[in-house]
Amino acid sequence: MTIRIAAVLLLFAALAAAPAFVPPFEVRVLSLFCFWGALSLAWSILGGFAGYWSFGHTVFIGVGAFVPGLIVARLLDGGGAELMPLMVLAGGLVSAAFAAVIAWPLLRLRGIYFAIAMLGVAQVTGELSAAIEWIGGGIGLSLPDAAPAALAPEAFYHYVFVGLLALTVGVAAWVRGARFGQGLLAIREDEDTARMLAVPTEGYKIAALVLSAFLTGLLGATYGFSLGYITTDSVFRTDFSLNMIVHALLGGIGTVAGPLLGAAVMVVLTQVVLGEMLNLHLFATGALVVAMVLLAPQGLLGLWRRRARRGADGRPRP
Amino acid sequence: MIPLLQTLLDGLVLGGVYAFAAVGFSLIFGVLGVVNLTHGVFVVLGAYGALLLHEVVGLDPILGLPLVMAALFALGYLYQRTLIAAAVERASLVASLLVTFGVALMARNLLQVVASPDVRSIATAYSFAGLSLGPLRVDLVRAAGLLTSLVLLSGLALLLGRTAFGRAIRATAQQPVGAALSGVNVRHVHGLTFGLGAAFAGASGAVIGMMLPFTPGSEAAWTLNAFVVVTLGGVGSPQGALLGGLLLGVIATLTAQYVGPAFQNAAMFLVLVLMLLLRPQGLLGHAFAASR
Repeated sequence: MTIRIAAVLLLFAALAAAPAFVPPFEVRVLSLFCFWGALSLAWSILGGFAGYWSFGHTVFIGVGAFVPGLIVARLLDGGGAELMPLMVLAGGLVSAAFAAVIAWPLLRLRGIYFAIAMLGVAQVTGELSAAIEWIGGGIGLSLPDAAPAALAPEAFYHYVFVGLLALTVGVAAWVRGARFGQGLLAIREDEDTARMLAVPTEGYKIAALVLSAFLTGLLGATYGFSLGYITTDSVFRTDFSLNMIVHALLGGIGTVAGPLLGAAVMVVLTQVVLGEMLNLHLFATGALVVAMVLLAPQGLLGLWRRRARRGADGRPRP
Repeated sequence: MIPLLQTLLDGLVLGGVYAFAAVGFSLIFGVLGVVNLTHGVFVVLGAYGALLLHEVVGLDPILGLPLVMAALFALGYLYQRTLIAAAVERASLVASLLVTFGVALMARNLLQVVASPDVRSIATAYSFAGLSLGPLRVDLVRAAGLLTSLVLLSGLALLLGRTAFGRAIRATAQQPVGAALSGVNVRHVHGLTFGLGAAFAGASGAVIGMMLPFTPGSEAAWTLNAFVVVTLGGVGSPQGALLGGLLLGVIATLTAQYVGPAFQNAAMFLVLVLMLLLRPQGLLGHAFAASR
């Protein structure tokens, strides 16, 4: 346990120190890792722990990003950079409220039906944000640059993303250990039995979706600020929904470390190895998903644990 | 009154094609329990196949249907016997969902590289001709598409309901172990069913190619569409797909006409969620495992 805590502290110390030592491009790559890792972990609170796979989690990024966009454009006349923390919080809260509204009907659906329903929610919300003139997602909304003058923008947003990743890891680790998280795992294993054993399945599922949406909304709002200009197409992105699932699947679904490991591998793969071949990213992602499901359904962590369980002679230990 | 009737007619014509495009998905879902997210890829492949035949050989898309269907049937059979069967055996049916999703991404990417991401459509000699029914009007292409859809859907219904092969498919859907005990080669039937589903998706793609523009990226929309049709109508039967398709077509055109084209998907989705909550097995659903 102490080794794990030390490893986590070391990881965050390294991430926080990075802007002082590495060039801007690498800082951006590290920020991307924090963003993707935190997203995937936020998705995992519902998808990994409770087994309710959302295929449309990008809706919470979109809602989270559009809330500050609308506050800035409709209330603050384009200014208000110093209010960024409050606006990010508002993005998270509105996202959570939105989740609470859709939770009751949608969480009555199970398995594939829930997955597709979430896909539909994301699709429709995105289309509405572009179609309704007051929201203005078709044309786009600008957000002020919130970075203080003393800091380069990429360093500032890097610190914010590191902070949000720390928050998400903390929340996910707490959930995993708490009674609430045990209840979610029970729902994943067998919802009807869990309910029979007096796990409040309905309340737990709704709480998991709302918590997940809150974290995703915070990340979405921050992402919006880091872009500086948001449109429907730049925040309601199917590939965001997809990446959250792929990272968790790659690292090991239902764990806290898995999504981070998955995000790290994918960032290295897409930004460094395939950085020059943008037109093949989709193919690589698809191939990776197929290979993982067929060869390592428990993810990289599962592979490693299986190896660790075997003795030096390659036979499983009793 | 006339505009409303015209909108309803357009909706029914479109709905017939939606039903045609969804029936393969329904069959695979109902018999194998696999949610085939590669379905839209089969539809788009059919459209590109018909386009290729039309441009290179000059063959009319409807006359070229047997070729497209044969090619997609072979592809579907091989795909099921290799990747899908492996995914179902090693992991679970949810794993097959992910595998088909991964393959869809790869196929879309390959199509973008091979066929370019440009918007295409198939222009036949009769593309701009129309039929008049009193004050109402239907494009000849759409009428031909609808007729083809209805003929092939009826053919599938007869195949499933009246032949020994259809009986084997229905038996496998209801109780795979029982079917195997009665001498049905379940693996082979699964492969054939998947091939049949792919062939129908490809055929619908050839028809759709004449009516609507398509790109490699259209596959996602057609997969989602099939899912909605099947949820509305009920899993596993051509009749269910037809009912769901017609309903979806009418909802889509009515919304586009009277609310606004931007709200089409929102309306379709609202109906889908209501349906899932009120009657999850669909209008004509059976109590098969997959339709629950």
